[in-house]
Amino acid sequence: MSSQAPAPTTPHPSPARAEDEPEATPFKLSAWLSTQGIVIFTIALVLFAVVFVDGFASLPNLTDVFNRAAPIGIVAAGMTFVVISGNYLDLSVVAQVATAAVVLIAVTNAVGLLPAILLAIAIALVYGLVNGVAVGVFKANAVIVTLSTTFIGLGLLRWLTGGSIYFGDSDGPIRTFGTTRIGPLPLSMVLFVVVTILLSLVFTRTNFGFMVRAYGSNREATRLAGVNTPAVVIGAFTMSALGAMLGGFVLAAFSNTAVSSMSDGYDFRALAAIIVGGTSVFGGRGSVMRTLLGVVFVSVLTNIMVLTGLGFGFQQMAIGLLIVLAVSVDALARKTRSS
Amino acid sequence: MSATESTSPAGEQTPASDGLIERGRRILSRRTEGRAVGLLMVVWVFTLLFEPLVWTSYEVTLGRIALVGLVALGLTAVILMGELDLAVASTLAVAGVIMASFDNLLLGVIAALATGLLVGAVNAFFVVIVGINSFIATLGMLFFLRGAAFVISGEQPVRIADVDAGIAFGQPVIGPLTPRMLIFIVAFVALYIFLSHIRVGREFYAVGGNRQAARDAGIPVTRRVFTGFMISGFISALAGVVNTLERTAADPTAGSTVLLASFAAAIIGGVLLNGGRGSVFGTLIGASALGMLQVALTLSGVQVDVQNIVIGGVLLLAVITDPASLRAATVTARSLMQGRAAQQDTGGVRLFAHRHPRWGPHVHRTREMTRCASDT
Amino acid sequence: MRKRHLTRVVGLFAAGALLLAACGDADDNGADDESVDAGEETVEDEAEEADPDDDGSGEAGAAVEDADFEVYALLPQGNDQPYGTTYLPPMEAAAEELGIALTITNSQYDADTQASDCEVAVAAQPDGIILWPAVGDTVRPCLQAANDAGIPVTITNSDVNEEDRDLTRGYSGPDTYGQGVASAELMCEFADGQDLGIIMINGLTGNSTAIDRENGFEDTINEQCSNVEILARQPGNWNADESQIAASEMITAVGAPNIQGVYAADDTMVAGAIDALRSRDIDPTELIITSIGNTFLGNPLVIDGELDGTVFQSSSWDGENAVTLMHEVLTEDPQDRLVRFMPDVKVTVDNAEDEDVAPEW
Repeated sequence: MSSQAPAPTTPHPSPARAEDEPEATPFKLSAWLSTQGIVIFTIALVLFAVVFVDGFASLPNLTDVFNRAAPIGIVAAGMTFVVISGNYLDLSVVAQVATAAVVLIAVTNAVGLLPAILLAIAIALVYGLVNGVAVGVFKANAVIVTLSTTFIGLGLLRWLTGGSIYFGDSDGPIRTFGTTRIGPLPLSMVLFVVVTILLSLVFTRTNFGFMVRAYGSNREATRLAGVNTPAVVIGAFTMSALGAMLGGFVLAAFSNTAVSSMSDGYDFRALAAIIVGGTSVFGGRGSVMRTLLGVVFVSVLTNIMVLTGLGFGFQQMAIGLLIVLAVSVDALARKTRSS
Repeated sequence: MSATESTSPAGEQTPASDGLIERGRRILSRRTEGRAVGLLMVVWVFTLLFEPLVWTSYEVTLGRIALVGLVALGLTAVILMGELDLAVASTLAVAGVIMASFDNLLLGVIAALATGLLVGAVNAFFVVIVGINSFIATLGMLFFLRGAAFVISGEQPVRIADVDAGIAFGQPVIGPLTPRMLIFIVAFVALYIFLSHIRVGREFYAVGGNRQAARDAGIPVTRRVFTGFMISGFISALAGVVNTLERTAADPTAGSTVLLASFAAAIIGGVLLNGGRGSVFGTLIGASALGMLQVALTLSGVQVDVQNIVIGGVLLLAVITDPASLRAATVTARSLMQGRAAQQDTGGVRLFAHRHPRWGPHVHRTREMTRCASDT
Repeated sequence: MRKRHLTRVVGLFAAGALLLAACGDADDNGADDESVDAGEETVEDEAEEADPDDDGSGEAGAAVEDADFEVYALLPQGNDQPYGTTYLPPMEAAAEELGIALTITNSQYDADTQASDCEVAVAAQPDGIILWPAVGDTVRPCLQAANDAGIPVTITNSDVNEEDRDLTRGYSGPDTYGQGVASAELMCEFADGQDLGIIMINGLTGNSTAIDRENGFEDTINEQCSNVEILARQPGNWNADESQIAASEMITAVGAPNIQGVYAADDTMVAGAIDALRSRDIDPTELIITSIGNTFLGNPLVIDGELDGTVFQSSSWDGENAVTLMHEVLTEDPQDRLVRFMPDVKVTVDNAEDEDVAPEW
């Protein structure tokens, strides 16, 4: 069946995108170029930091970079599926990360680790299903659907828990997870890399990953090829939910605390990482590995600015500027090449 | 013909022989505001029955609608062209901070509004000249302008020079209407006329519906996109000025709830995120429904978390019970029952055109239509 | 009282479901059911839970059926923050005891939302308004409007600016600037004249409490112990994890041997900073570390000797006094502005296990 599915090129590109993706450029070349763009940017930034920023190239500092990157990176890796399926973003990761973190610590304290993980997985599946059914079956707009599930999810979490802050046992399993190192590397960092590679394999090697891309490129053609498109959308939102759950676990384990406001801003921060990585917000084009690069890029950048003592305002300005510049260089390069 | 329909010329083929009721039904079915009207009516029934204070203190309700709706109006102009402006809330904050940094109130207002226009122009520059996606360009501006607001203000709220003038600004001027509401009404009327009766504005729909076709038809797409982003930037800055004056101080963290509320108002109002369909009238209704719901829930005294659950539930219900959504769900259910073989025989484009005759026989638009269905 | 309100919400939901469903030729589906269920279930549960409230004291001549006074509390946080979570229950308990029907809003630190909530509150003509300013500089119009409508306003948690105080009838809560001062005094005391390089972790950028505490700490350091030098500062956003990373990065930036002390604007963040020290094999007991809060997270750290001193902030005192102060204004109509400061108790290893500084949040 999948052999008959359309190639992830756009036979009738949406006019709104005509400029971004000139038809003359074959899909693979443009993909290669944009990946190169972020690779070059990241390498340049790291080289700059190694030479000019004292203390950047030390093991503790690189650990900080990856501690910054791990939770948001896992969330962004999952959300990449939603973005590539052409559904803009999943705002409800804010509620999902907080819920997973609170469930992990509160339920572990009350019952045990296994029930906590099982409950968190069940909740993630419900999120994936509700978002996916509303967007995939009812064809409702993903922004507004995930906005509503954020309201409902955070409301339920705060109302049911009373909004408390939860601490794990100082020698419990969550603490162990948060402090364990494999060699010099924290476990969360290893988990981040492993999860990204796994999600990337799902994305590149499975029928499901192929269909997500195909659906993001051309919904109607994918549907006509006999693909069960609602299932693809539900699958994409479920990947996002599972990513958000794991991100919540890592976040909770890192500080051994959980509170419902700890994931504020994760929606647009994850999206920024995905976009900086070169994934198209209109679907079809992109990959999980690019998201990994985007997350590393933003984390290195933030790290450099904290190391040089720049205030929060300047950090935000620089991140904004670099998002636009990184993508501009890429766009201009493609423009030149295609003309 | 209504401005909301510029991209559906097929609708004009309605035969004159149709009965009046049938024509009325068709006109109604072509409108994009149905969901918003439905939601608004629910809120009306609810408030009339249980919270009449929402109506008797209508000036308070109007104030809330103006707060939710002003930024959403500017956003609508951009979304109609198939673009997005994620920077609205940050523009609002930076405009307020710039305004408050001036000792002279008038100079401050002018500087703030000019900043809004400039921000819009920069956004448009990146989108149409450099050629990057508006989602990305304005996401970058979202971070950049928020940072700028912190840097300019020294990370602290800035009081305006003339606090009394600010307090006076919050007082009613005509009947119970405060300047905020008047500005909101003027902005709405101006945008409504611009988008439905002035050629430049009507061309926004063409730009959003099919950009290449718009270009081929001789519409200066680049200039229209600049106009759209500058409208959005200007209105966001205007909201920042109004908020700062009314509060007597600028807050660099301002607008934290503005972005998503504006999007909710526009989308509930039937504005299609991929462009080409929607109206400021729909946005007004969407903002009214949301604003009234918020006021009613505040008055109800229900715990805040439960209020959020209710708002989320109402939003979710509103999007999935839209007629197009229910149709989509029916199609899915039917195709699941009939099996996929039948579906393949029919030929999808034909099937689609058959199901929605009003979208006309333009086969090359199939893709957008799929999007249409998915965005309602 | 609350039950009646809840009935309305259930009504809204039922009406909403009916009317919206009527818009199309609907057949049901999973997601639809799910969302409705979630909402209704919630509301019904709440209704059950709220039942006992109806048995509250009811007296004749009241504005509402079962309460003597109707009061709006305009707060910028609630169950979304740990402090708000433990602030609310004592507040609600005190209100029930005193026959006050509370309507609580949460603006999530958005000044414009709070201003609009204030307009709603003034229109509802309650007996009083308790205000916890989202942004202190922006509340004057709200105070003015309430005053014009003859509604007394009391302030809780963080006081309004000097020039706005004549529009309010009282203040109860911590002296947030004073908390920064107290934490700095602890730092000065422990430094004992030695030169001390410290890193500073602040609250959420732009947040009034964060600003007041930062100013209080810094001003006091400059005045009382110039031997203490702030080497680097970053926001930790009231969060343990963000504080931990920021602290670790500041250690890299400044160099571990140069740091002899840490200040964090609350206990949650100081816990993160102490974790950062530990993960770099720096013994936190060797550094001078102060903070604010004395929370469930901070108190054990004080007892262990890792956190040298913190300043007790009682969320229950805060919530309870917000209501009792308003009650006093309503019943006794005092001429002067009432001010009740939460005592800034400094907590060190000497008194950390005392009853009167038992942590609350």
